[in-house]
Amino acid sequence: MIPLNPTTLPDNDNIPGNHYAYCVRLDGQLFMQTGRMIAYYPAPHSQGIRFEPLTAASLGGMVATRFSAPLYTRDWVVAAGAGHLILGDRGYDINSYDLDDGNLTLRAANLLAFDSTLELKQSIVPGFLTLIGTGKFLASSSGPVIFAEPPIRVDPEALVGWADCPSPSHHYDAGWMGGFLAGAMGMMGVNSGEERQFDFTGAGTVLIQSSESTVADPHLVQQLEGQLAGLGLSGLQRMQQAVAQQLAQQQQR
Amino acid sequence: MPFEQVNGKVVAVSVAPGREVLARKGAMLAYTGDVHFSPVHMGQGGAGGMVGRMMSGEQVAMMVAQGSGTVHYGYRGLYVTIIELDGSGPLSVEADRLVAHDAALQSTVVFLGSQGGIRGAVRGAVSGQGLFTTQLHGYGTAAVLSHGGTIALPVNGRPVAVDPQAYVAHIGQVNVDISASVGWRDAVGRGSGEAVQLKCTGQGTVYVQASEQKL
Amino acid sequence: MQGFRLNGSRVLEIDLMGDAVRAATGSMIAYTGDVTFKNAGMGGGDGLMAGLKRRAAGESVALMHCTGQGTVWFAKDAMEVLIVELNGDTLKVESEQLLALSDKLKTDVAFAGVRGASSGQGLFTTTVTGYGTVALLSAGGPPIALEVSPQYPLVVDPDAFVASQGQLNQSFVTDVSWRNLIGESSGEAFSLRFDGSGVVYIQPEER
Repeated sequence: MIPLNPTTLPDNDNIPGNHYAYCVRLDGQLFMQTGRMIAYYPAPHSQGIRFEPLTAASLGGMVATRFSAPLYTRDWVVAAGAGHLILGDRGYDINSYDLDDGNLTLRAANLLAFDSTLELKQSIVPGFLTLIGTGKFLASSSGPVIFAEPPIRVDPEALVGWADCPSPSHHYDAGWMGGFLAGAMGMMGVNSGEERQFDFTGAGTVLIQSSESTVADPHLVQQLEGQLAGLGLSGLQRMQQAVAQQLAQQQQR
Repeated sequence: MPFEQVNGKVVAVSVAPGREVLARKGAMLAYTGDVHFSPVHMGQGGAGGMVGRMMSGEQVAMMVAQGSGTVHYGYRGLYVTIIELDGSGPLSVEADRLVAHDAALQSTVVFLGSQGGIRGAVRGAVSGQGLFTTQLHGYGTAAVLSHGGTIALPVNGRPVAVDPQAYVAHIGQVNVDISASVGWRDAVGRGSGEAVQLKCTGQGTVYVQASEQKL
Repeated sequence: MQGFRLNGSRVLEIDLMGDAVRAATGSMIAYTGDVTFKNAGMGGGDGLMAGLKRRAAGESVALMHCTGQGTVWFAKDAMEVLIVELNGDTLKVESEQLLALSDKLKTDVAFAGVRGASSGQGLFTTTVTGYGTVALLSAGGPPIALEVSPQYPLVVDPDAFVASQGQLNQSFVTDVSWRNLIGESSGEAFSLRFDGSGVVYIQPEER
């Protein structure tokens, strides 16, 4: 194995023969998820690379205009300076994408880094983030991303993201839902898989990965909590019922 | 080919009338076309099969995909290996590792190894060695799950010893015996349970994963 | 010279012809032939002193001796395997990233400086010295070898560090800006800086 150094490392590409590590040639600012730096070479005769929390005073204006996903502020930093920055993400495959005056929505856990020329917003689909504008970003996936064209139905847990599509809708398998088992399980308990999928129609691209074991996303809980305020008395009672049912199911396991 | 490897963790299977696919519940990632999914009761193995499943504590619900279209299967980011059955011998695979297979293949549940009968079986199940396997017969294709992918080790007269934690599947005329080895536990045994190894003899292939983590 | 070779990228295959190798306890996934496995004991096969040092250091290197005639397959947690040849020099390796080594190589424990304060790893690393072959493990994908030279010092995340080789000075970097983050997020609050001349191996996944 021939060791790499700043003269042989790629500028903005995967490490040769390694889908799981990516080298950014940093000269300026980059939004990145915390904890994803695995190594860096500071550029000679430079200040090196600094990692600033989004709350840092020096970033104030830039963050305010580029990062409007308050739930996720603590998961992100700005890498600033010059050098070769190597990123890794839990052994996930890493890909770079160019957005040209477009929009793309990604599962929050799969968005690794993005140029400060892009704008980030929370999607109306809980747990997803939308990038808007022109620039480069890095996304990770469990195994290589599968790009598919609509019409397609996707297990919510296998969905990485989508571009240029109308917002996804839910699809319930009629045969399954009509069956007696569906009644036994309770419609509320059905979350994903063969019974319910995200349905994509129209022109665009859908990004798919192998399903993940469900990770507890604290932001998702926050987001759902926020929506409770909109429910009336009967709605809240119903939610309570559904939660109790789910809880009982989980405790049985 | 109805089964196509999309990448290390995903297979695409074409479904058509008369060519249904059985898959582990929750393994469907995405599909195109007109495909419907419904649960199947795993009683096909007869009373013995049911008892075996209940004892093993395996509650692996299977779904049948019917209609016409293409279904992508994968499971929790695990690696998927496609194995062809040419009728020359059955495929044995741990039930929870079997992610999808042609519905035309017949399946039964067997306890791997001849030691101890029912009591041995219970012990195996209790110690978490997962020695219950699903056996598939006939012609067709199956896809199995592993942690980090599998290597195929030929069994041709010379016996191959396999760590039960790393064992994934075997195909052909292969006999698998469970044997305890002196000093084995000391050097190899991990976690709880009995220190056993699987001795594979005969003619065929045994699939072993690059990890000692159960699914 | 033992035949250390790869079967795929995550399985190490070794032919034994009456000789011995040491491998991480529990890493044997299959074998053929007449092979015996024996716990290498407290010192990982390097005597009681090494064992006591190791115990004091909290480095948990558990090795087994494999001897006999046959072929053995080794793997651990689906990690990628890297084979490194040693020609009389020393390799510093994170003990849990060590899969197997030629029996004639010597292992010891070395004080590795102040790192580990943040990652909870030991303050000590395992050193491997001599002539022979070592198999290292890399989590999350193939390992990455990075060159360190006087012109190009390197900073790595301690949780991604696998091994290092050469004349290297190791120091502890606390970026001022990180201080704001402590208590707010669990990012890379501390990093390892390498100066000198040598090679550092890192992995794409953090421990």
